[in-house]
Amino acid sequence: MKCGSETRLQKLIADSHFHPSHTTMTDKNNLSHIEKVKQASDGLRGTIIQSMQNEVTGAISEDDQALFKFHGMYQQDDRDRREERAEKKLERLYSFMIRLRLSGGFLTPEQWIAVHAIAGENSTGVIRITTRQTIQLHGLIKSKVKPTINAFNEAKLHSIATCGDINRNVLCTSNPIQSPIHDQVFKYATKISDMLLPKTRAYYEIWLDQEKIADRKEEEDPLYQDRYLPRKFKIAIVIPPNNDVDVLANDIGLIAIIENNELKGFNIAIGGGLSTTHGNPDTYARLATVIGFADTEEKVLKAVYEIVTIQRDYGNRSDRKLARLKYTLDKYGVDWFLKEIKNRAGFALEEPKPYIFTTRTDFYGWTQSQDGLWHYTLFTENGRILDDEKIALKTALLEVAKTGKANFRFTCNQNLILSDITQSDKESILALLEKFNVDGHTDSASVVRKNSMACVSFNTCPLALAEAQRYLPSLISKIEPLLEKHALANEDIILRMTGCPNGCARSFAAEIGFVGTANGKYNLHLGGDHVGKRLNKIYRENIEEDAILSELDNLFDIFSKEKNEGEKFGDFSMRKNWVAN
Amino acid sequence: MLGEVKLKALQDLVGNSTPDEIIWMNGYLSAVIAQTVNKPAETSPAKSGVNKITIVYGTETGNSKKLATTFAAKAKKNGINAKVVSLDQYRVTDLSKEEYFFSIISTQGDGEPPAAAKKFYDHLYQIGSEMGKLKFSVLALGDTSYPLFCKTGEDVDEQLQKLGGSRILPLQKCDVDYEEDANSWFTIALQTLHQNGSAVGAASPITTKKSSGKKTFARKVLTNINLNDLGSNKETYHIEIEAENIDYLPGDSIGVIPENPLSIIESITGLVGIDKEKTVGYKNEQISIIELLQKKLNIFYLPERVVKKYADIIQQEIPATRIDLLDLLRIYPVKNQAQFKDVITILEPITPRLYSIASSPEAHNGELHIIVAKNYFDINNEIKYGLTSDFLSHLKVENTLNFYLHPNAQFRMPEEDKDIIMIGPGTGIAPFRSFIAQRDATGASGKNWLFFGEQHFSTDFLYQTEIQSWLETGVLSKVNVAFSRDTKEKVYVQHKMKKEARLLYEWLESGAYVFLCGTKDPMSIDVENTLLRIIEEQGSRSKEEAIQYLDQMKEDGRYMKDVY
Ligand code: SRM
Ligand SMILES: Cc1cc2nc3c(=O)[nH]c(=O)nc-3n(C[C@H](O)[C@H](O)[C@H](O)COP(=O)(O)OP(=O)(O)OC[C@H]3O[C@@H](n4cnc5c(N)ncnc54)[C@H](O)[C@@H]3O)c2cc1C
Ligand SMILES: Cc1cc2nc3c(=O)[nH]c(=O)nc-3n(C[C@H](O)[C@H](O)[C@H](O)COP(=O)(O)O)c2cc1C
Ligand code: SF4
Repeated sequence: MKCGSETRLQKLIADSHFHPSHTTMTDKNNLSHIEKVKQASDGLRGTIIQSMQNEVTGAISEDDQALFKFHGMYQQDDRDRREERAEKKLERLYSFMIRLRLSGGFLTPEQWIAVHAIAGENSTGVIRITTRQTIQLHGLIKSKVKPTINAFNEAKLHSIATCGDINRNVLCTSNPIQSPIHDQVFKYATKISDMLLPKTRAYYEIWLDQEKIADRKEEEDPLYQDRYLPRKFKIAIVIPPNNDVDVLANDIGLIAIIENNELKGFNIAIGGGLSTTHGNPDTYARLATVIGFADTEEKVLKAVYEIVTIQRDYGNRSDRKLARLKYTLDKYGVDWFLKEIKNRAGFALEEPKPYIFTTRTDFYGWTQSQDGLWHYTLFTENGRILDDEKIALKTALLEVAKTGKANFRFTCNQNLILSDITQSDKESILALLEKFNVDGHTDSASVVRKNSMACVSFNTCPLALAEAQRYLPSLISKIEPLLEKHALANEDIILRMTGCPNGCARSFAAEIGFVGTANGKYNLHLGGDHVGKRLNKIYRENIEEDAILSELDNLFDIFSKEKNEGEKFGDFSMRKNWVAN
Repeated sequence: MLGEVKLKALQDLVGNSTPDEIIWMNGYLSAVIAQTVNKPAETSPAKSGVNKITIVYGTETGNSKKLATTFAAKAKKNGINAKVVSLDQYRVTDLSKEEYFFSIISTQGDGEPPAAAKKFYDHLYQIGSEMGKLKFSVLALGDTSYPLFCKTGEDVDEQLQKLGGSRILPLQKCDVDYEEDANSWFTIALQTLHQNGSAVGAASPITTKKSSGKKTFARKVLTNINLNDLGSNKETYHIEIEAENIDYLPGDSIGVIPENPLSIIESITGLVGIDKEKTVGYKNEQISIIELLQKKLNIFYLPERVVKKYADIIQQEIPATRIDLLDLLRIYPVKNQAQFKDVITILEPITPRLYSIASSPEAHNGELHIIVAKNYFDINNEIKYGLTSDFLSHLKVENTLNFYLHPNAQFRMPEEDKDIIMIGPGTGIAPFRSFIAQRDATGASGKNWLFFGEQHFSTDFLYQTEIQSWLETGVLSKVNVAFSRDTKEKVYVQHKMKKEARLLYEWLESGAYVFLCGTKDPMSIDVENTLLRIIEEQGSRSKEEAIQYLDQMKEDGRYMKDVY
């Protein structure tokens, strides 16, 4: 199938005006506060400029904080410093986190050099690869926000709508091994991302000093109107058999269907979402349901677009905890949804096609794609790129970027691929990797460490209940000996930790999941499968390190003794009924 | 003529009085006689004698001014028309026209004139003698705890005579408890004027010796926190002190007399091999060497004048420089303990260090707060700390701090309905925290505008949360902050003032009071120049007119500085 021209894409958006607002299921009276803020925001402008000009505080007004997210930034504060600063009569140490929009998680070497410089100039210096294939910088103080965005802009990078109630960064399987198809599919990520961007010029006005548009009509937004979506919205595209993007954790998942090296179209899955809230039984993690298949690009884009409009019109706008598409879907049911798509898109989805996932982890080290190009996947623990006592990773990557011989691709496992390296350049890149022992660092990391993820959590995440990225590395150092003790050192077990039940490192979709409940306390989850098609369940609640280790010791013991040939730890946990089916 | 008893008493009195004192008594008695002979009816105009005098004053904290006005009032009661002028308002060229000229002046810094008297003081050293008919007398205010006691008064007294003026009364030096001495000086002065102000030749100045009347307090430390956050270049300590029944006003300071570290003193006594417990005579009391060196005498960064005296004692050439006593003893050792005892006699008293009070009697009942910036400097790449600020920074809760009150009548808040603009970067914020808290507690209706500056927003914003809540509650109508090291080009308070030029000028025009506190150089100079430029530009005035405008504000007490 061939790619559609831009004009067709525009037409497709223009056609789509079917959004009966009377069908909006939330009655206007009990709209959540954020809904009112959005609608009163004058195209996401609010009072951001005034907030930024306020000299006596590093913070911005509460309403502006909500709007800031649509510009790709979150207000945070250093939670380690709160008590002491209060004593010193200083306000909290406020700063901002900025998240880039990188469809499919791709940067040119020139862009990496820019990001490296910006991080050093304006943020903590740490470049953080996220679980959704992009990067974040932390610790921007007020005065650094504008310079940062301008510098990004010069590198043709932006942070528009990477947060907020709107479509986020669009994911795509990272490794270009299946090159011809990968490239074809990859383009979809950008197309969908562009199609679902907001129309407001606020970002350009406020941060890039572009002149104000006289007539607001010019930025009228048929898709988002002035309401935007009830909640964040996430889309991922996967190229089986590697489900590295955890496609079913998304509001919309597109599964590429490939028959003898040809892209036939996509299965469409909807209603994925992992977050839960402790003590709120109405909230639950849910994997997306595959509801159909579309072949042509036009149909795929149209279907995606209308699924978004349905969520816009029917999603819950009074209770943000129940506002994700997964709840809308469960409220109205798959059949209703299929009808609604048909009404809006003007065509029905076909029956889903069969597909298989065999893995979710990254292919570390060198891989070569059909087109003969080389790709080196390196291990970056929890996505944190910096120079530390172990390894000068940040410097190494800058050196690589300076050669201009490798692109940078981010994986949803918080790792990095130096990609598209020609046979002739491979040697020089390898030499650099060796010089900084990047390859050694990747090779020597244990299997379990390489299969693990932790979310950011403390000290920046305001929602954190327990440590995650600052703690998991040391916990793994204590788990490794247990695995060795039970001869499981080479067993592929997916282990993930999050500091709260929002599940940012997809801990609910892991074979061993840790979900923070309080300082030093975690729920231990078991039973998730290896490829991301079955979620885990709580096995033990609120346990601390000692209990965690003795539990694992015991479980590993049984597993090593009783597992069948090739049986994965997650499946074994279910067979053993360690958690209810 | 005198009865036994009286005669004895008189003889005793004269017997154990210094020549100075006898001269003074002489003057005093003549005054009494004059009073009893031609009793001037308190109110009636003078029959005979002088009826026109000029009283000038040079003041930093208002004492001299207060005395000048008292003196003028007394003079008027005696039918003498007295013109009172602050020395910064005084046209120095008028000096040659003066006939009866009384100068009341304090000493500041290390024996320097008050800022407001600088121009006049310097002028005295520039002009030639042309004061033919000038009859003068000087009342000097000072503090015996400073090495150069009443130096400025001495200089003025001496210069006026050099310039051909004739002394009506010998120089009167006053310690901090100046009221009595000043009053008797007034009486004598008035009497002399009634006798047509015939000048007394005597040059020798008068001081009435008595222990300094300073009331010192010893109170508990309640809190001591460093306000700067991790990563700051600075350490600024917020110290809360128990202060039941200590009456102070916003704008006042406290004086602290630091103690020298024992370790250094022991190295000194060790070096000269003298028994540190040995007692010696000092200001007619017997005191152990260790206590003397620890609590009384300055042993750091000795002034050149002391180093010179040291050189004379050990009879060696020593280049003119400032140096610590210990280094001096190391490099130019004393020959014996006797020489060391001589050295002790040339050492000067430890001078008090002042700290603006940062609390309000109304808002912080029974407490007194100060902010102390840890003073540091580097001597051949070794970082050293200021004696007092270092000592204060180490105070622990429950420790006792000795201090005295240093009132500042020249830095007082106006009536409650007046608007005030406060410019206080760094520790200059101290009195303004007191002002704002006071206005908050008393519900004053005047508007308040604060300018504050420091190095970094994140780590150095002193009292940030308090300032924020004062903004929220509206006590502070406006706040501008300048953080010099957060941006490429440095931004200081004066830049923020320039940004706000129009509004700032509007405030001035509508009668706002301007207060400036913090480091003298360069801050206070840059700020004052900026203020002048704003008055010039916004009011489309000439430079001179702008200066007049500010002078007028000073005269009306609408522009007040407390800089150091
Ligand atoms: C950086 C990242 C985790 C990481 O270690 O990489 C992250 C970090 C945060 N997430 Fe997340 N989320 C990240 C992927 C996820 C995922 C995983 C995924 O999407 O595959 C999930 C679970 C899937 C899902 O959406 O259900 C996830 C579910 C949440 C939620 C719960 C959403 C919900 O439906 O309730 C929140 C809280 C919220 O939105 O109210 C949240 C909120 C946050 C915030 C912004 C906290 C906040 O709202 O103030 C965290 C910022 C921490 C910091 O200091 O950086 N994050 N967040 C990931 C950035 C992705 C990206 O580049 O956009
Ligand atoms: C009216 C007034 C109000 C004040 N208010 C405040 C206030 O609110 N807060 C505040 O922090 N300060 C205030 N000060 C300043 C304060 O009084 C002290 O001057 C300051 O704390 C420094 O004193 P120190 O004993 O710590 O330093 P010192 O030991 O007196 O040293 C001061 C300086 O002398 C030089 N020096 C000293 N020893 C040596 C040496 N051995 N070699 C070379 N150089 C040397 C250095 O330049 C050093 O910086 C005020 C001053 C005045 C006059
Ligand atoms: C910083 C400072 C330095 C001083 N230096 C001296 C000094 O060198 N010699 C002295 O006799 N008095 C000195 N004094 C004491 C003052 O002269 C004394 O407080 C006097 O009463 C102030 O009078 P005024 O309010 O008219 O300025 C100093 C006071 C201050 C605050
Ligand atoms: S999972 Fe919770 S703690 Fe971790 S980053 Fe997400 S919101 Fe923060």
